[in-house]
Amino acid sequence: MKILYTLLIALSTFTFFSCSKETSTTQVKVMNSLLTNKNWYLDYSITDAMTSTTPVVMKSYVGQSTYFITYLKNGDTKDSDGITGTYSVELINGASQIHMQLKTSNGNPFEVIYNIISVGESNMVLSKLVSGPATKLYFTTK
Amino acid sequence: MGLANTFSNRFIFIFLLAILVSSKVHAQILTKKQQDSAFLLHPGQERIRKFKKSLAKTFVNFTGNDLSLYGSLNLSKQKINDNDITAPINYLYNNLNNNSYEAGFSGGFRMDGIYNEKHRYSFSFGINRITVGNYYQNIYSLAPFIDDFTHFKADNVFTTINIAAHYKKLLPVGDMNKYKFYAVIGPSFDYKISSISEENLINGAGNKAIINGDFGAEFDNKGYYVLFAHYKFGVNMKSSSVPIQLNRFEIGMSIKTKDLF
Repeated sequence: MKILYTLLIALSTFTFFSCSKETSTTQVKVMNSLLTNKNWYLDYSITDAMTSTTPVVMKSYVGQSTYFITYLKNGDTKDSDGITGTYSVELINGASQIHMQLKTSNGNPFEVIYNIISVGESNMVLSKLVSGPATKLYFTTK
Repeated sequence: MGLANTFSNRFIFIFLLAILVSSKVHAQILTKKQQDSAFLLHPGQERIRKFKKSLAKTFVNFTGNDLSLYGSLNLSKQKINDNDITAPINYLYNNLNNNSYEAGFSGGFRMDGIYNEKHRYSFSFGINRITVGNYYQNIYSLAPFIDDFTHFKADNVFTTINIAAHYKKLLPVGDMNKYKFYAVIGPSFDYKISSISEENLINGAGNKAIINGDFGAEFDNKGYYVLFAHYKFGVNMKSSSVPIQLNRFEIGMSIKTKDLF
């Protein structure tokens, strides 16, 4: 019977250790890997309605020389307007966000936070965290 | 990975020990040195002898055990339900989805025998290199531009160790003294020993253990070799945010080790 017990214990231990090895940083790592070292070109911006009677404002930049932003692997960011700074992807209360500490070309610092609606290998949708109606920004890598 | 290796080593050890014990003991003439050695006390050998004896007692009804080596071709496809993924990640559906069976391979040992002189069985232990086609059940979109996408990217190549216990029913087909056809049914268990990508771990999706229900047919050619075709239907052993159904067809051959070595 000893061998049966040994087999049973080995199998149970196997099952016990078969749980996932996800860590708190796994999701951030994956989002970072999708985000970095690409030029993200703005294709659309959609601003929610201010009131129930005002319309949603959708702007298309497809086919135009448009705004783009790059997130580098070393944590730096720069955009087509010449604004540079650093960024970090964070998971706060279940919400995935990009926190950017930026400087204008005059050297004035400011912070921008985007909620990540969706990020992929070639598509990204961000929502700017501001007071008032939210603006969603649709980017592609072209 | 190291942990998986430790456990796989333990399984290999137990398996090899079982094989050792089940093999027939032949009478032999002892040399002078062996005769002298027989008078000495060997605690290690004594323990092994006792262990063998205990095994023989436990498995007294498992007779006619033949050890074989097997190799097989696997065709695999998995069905993926990523409904519970909450991470805001998209993968283009058309880039990932290929609703087809992909080829992999397996190899290992199997032991065939008879329980209580009536019930034929086989136990097997093997390693599978699985390449799998992925069918994503759910399609999402985000207007105005993102194409159809999925929230999850499943690994499509991985390695597992597999143990199986199959019941074999002899079918009354043809000349049963020469050729034997069997219907086969039983459970099997797979454990992924290859590393899991980080994409596969998001939101608790990662799962290393797969439990399978197997059935199929086997053809025994006068005991020279066995051709087999099995279908395996597998699911995650533990609950997961991405339940996966793994469908596999296994076509292969086994040859008795005593004929090979």
